[in-house]
Amino acid sequence: MEMLEVLVEMFEMFKSNMVNIPLIQPVIDALMNIPIVNYIVALVLWKPFFAIAILPGLGGIMIVLLLMVYWERKLTARIQWRVGPLEVFRPLRGLIQPLADGFRYFFQEVIVHVDSHRPYFVQLPILTFIPVLLPILFIPAGEIVAIRSSYAIQIIVALIALIPITIIAIGWASNSRFAYIGSVREAMMYFAYEVPFVIAVLAMILMYGSGDPYVIVEKQSVPGVIMNPIAFLVFFIATLMATSRLPFEIPEADQEIAFGPFVEYSGILFGIVMTLAYEKLYIMCLLMSILFFGGWNGISIPLLGDLSPAIWLFVKAVVVMLIVALARSIYPRFRLDQALKLGWTSMLLISLVSLALAIVIRLSGWLG
Amino acid sequence: MKEISIDVPVEPPAELKPLFIPIPPEYVEDAYKKDEYLVLVGPQHPGSGHMRIIVRVDGDVIVDAIPDPGYVHRSMEKLAENRLYIQNIPLFERPAIMDNANFNLGYIRAIEEALDIEVPERAKYLRMIMAELCRIGTHLYDAAILAVFIGHTTGFMYPFAIRELICECLVKMTGVRFTSSFIIPGGIRRDADNSVLDFVKKATFEIERRLKNFEKIFIKNPATIARLKDVGVLSKEEAIKYGVVGPFLRASGVEYDVRKVEGYEAYDELDWEIVVADEGDGYSRFLVRVNEINQSLNIIRQAIGRIPEGDVISQDLFENVNANTKNPKDIRGAFYDLFANLKLPLGETTTLTEAARGLLLYTIISDGESNVPYRVRIVSPGWLYLRGFMESLRGERLADLQAIYGSFGYFPPEADR
Repeated sequence: MEMLEVLVEMFEMFKSNMVNIPLIQPVIDALMNIPIVNYIVALVLWKPFFAIAILPGLGGIMIVLLLMVYWERKLTARIQWRVGPLEVFRPLRGLIQPLADGFRYFFQEVIVHVDSHRPYFVQLPILTFIPVLLPILFIPAGEIVAIRSSYAIQIIVALIALIPITIIAIGWASNSRFAYIGSVREAMMYFAYEVPFVIAVLAMILMYGSGDPYVIVEKQSVPGVIMNPIAFLVFFIATLMATSRLPFEIPEADQEIAFGPFVEYSGILFGIVMTLAYEKLYIMCLLMSILFFGGWNGISIPLLGDLSPAIWLFVKAVVVMLIVALARSIYPRFRLDQALKLGWTSMLLISLVSLALAIVIRLSGWLG
Repeated sequence: MKEISIDVPVEPPAELKPLFIPIPPEYVEDAYKKDEYLVLVGPQHPGSGHMRIIVRVDGDVIVDAIPDPGYVHRSMEKLAENRLYIQNIPLFERPAIMDNANFNLGYIRAIEEALDIEVPERAKYLRMIMAELCRIGTHLYDAAILAVFIGHTTGFMYPFAIRELICECLVKMTGVRFTSSFIIPGGIRRDADNSVLDFVKKATFEIERRLKNFEKIFIKNPATIARLKDVGVLSKEEAIKYGVVGPFLRASGVEYDVRKVEGYEAYDELDWEIVVADEGDGYSRFLVRVNEINQSLNIIRQAIGRIPEGDVISQDLFENVNANTKNPKDIRGAFYDLFANLKLPLGETTTLTEAARGLLLYTIISDGESNVPYRVRIVSPGWLYLRGFMESLRGERLADLQAIYGSFGYFPPEADR
């Protein structure tokens, strides 16, 4: 009896906090009259669940992965006087190529080599989803938010720092020399970007006077990138470093250490670890949109209701990602020591400049 | 700061024992006792080519590098002993298929020197044009490999796209994209008419135009310069001591080019310069080759401008043979009549050729009575500069291994023969 009461109570909780989308409201109303189905519909549309599972959470990540892999290959190909993916579903110019690649990974044999620490080796690729999804709990998209906190930005930055640890753990579990070198490089790269990155975020928080995304977005009548472009520059370079994109693709450097920490993975496990950098990039782009591009500010579409700001945030993040993909075809890879030097000299310096700029803006009382 | 050593018994990894690696077990143990470790790069590694490099690493710094070549050894010298002299022509193109004309030319020149055949002027010019086209093709290929080794995929694709023009020129001249076996004792297989030569000349301008794009995106890229500058430095003395050859020797400041020294074919009749750099680092090794492309384009244009009319197959060959078709412009139909029973006089002949990657040596020893060589010795440039390549790795970082590899353009099939 108690069980049923709890379920009813939870149903009431879901119903009281549902995503409101006028476009599909009649359908939802009809579904809400059917028993059991209404429970599922209420759960899916419950804002915290929606934020994690659909937008900007897992559903968003899925779209980003498919789109990003295709875009990256196609864009790189066009720059390089090539055609790129084309043959898989020709009417859409090979748009579902990443899906085909994913299927390939699914049906490939997963080899777990003798020297690996077997339980960790198999578990860690799946466990890495935890630090990837944790920051999403705190990233609000308009009204759709899992956990509302006035220190959300700080928490997101702290949780992003968990991701390198899982990569290092993957390298350790692989127990191979290239994986070892890759793990050390990952740790070093973390060293290189973390301090300027934190200072840049700190500058923005100081400028807005709050770590609450709602306050930050509200204050951006002018986008943050125009108010403090220096902090944006540091943030952008730190994003490239953190997600091991070229020219900082140092931990994975396939010609040097053959995908570093992930060298021993095959099949779907490799498919999962390969997406890790893209997921991290997605989260950092969401954070970048909130801090520098006005978050979910945008023309409101009444038909989409609560979904409209979420879509604005998503679109902004995706556009940033598409631009980041361009770096791949322009730059070769830096060496580890050069990246470290860059992080601890120029980047640290300009991040401090951005901090000073933020203080000046704060003291001028422009943002109130 | 005093270094504290912790006396932990270190076992070298078991994988280092069963493999065929050309180092004694004591070396492995010594490395592991000194807190260093061995990284086996290759032969199945995206940045090693068909060879293995045993790298002894202290932290991130390379202490020692031991090459383990021979994975694509095809025993060409032994194969050559059982084939007719002309059957060896396709064989000896294969060490470096990008550079086939130079390899072909070296072998043919050895035969011509032994038989004392005078080559017609027009054939010399056409051979030279082909050799220079192949040189450009090889340098572009190496530039592409260098680019992808330091992670620049656009720099990989552009030179290969430019190289298509070279292949197109060779198709017009010979009928195949590469490994055409076109150079034969006493000349070349058939003449190229003026429309073909015009096409080649136009192609050189197009190559130059496209190279500008490549220069913008890769050669002048600040990240490329940062990666290659002051990396893998070989001083002038070291380069001479380790026997480095070709563009890599010239990058260390030694002005030596067999084309100038021997002046074979018609190189001494044209106006061109030896490209030299002083730094001896990875970037200068790359730049020397890029500038050599420009010099080669210059040579091709001059050669097309000055090419004389006339035969392309030496008249000396036709003297003793009852060939049905004695066409000095085209060998077709008379090839086996002329060459199947080719015999070299007793003795040893050696020629030096400047292949794209450097000095190429052919020695043919003949017993004077059989139509196969008694012994052929090839020393390819890759084999000669392997030592310098390994020495330049010392003291650099592990990540620089591929950058230096690419800057040398080391090509295992060429070195292994």
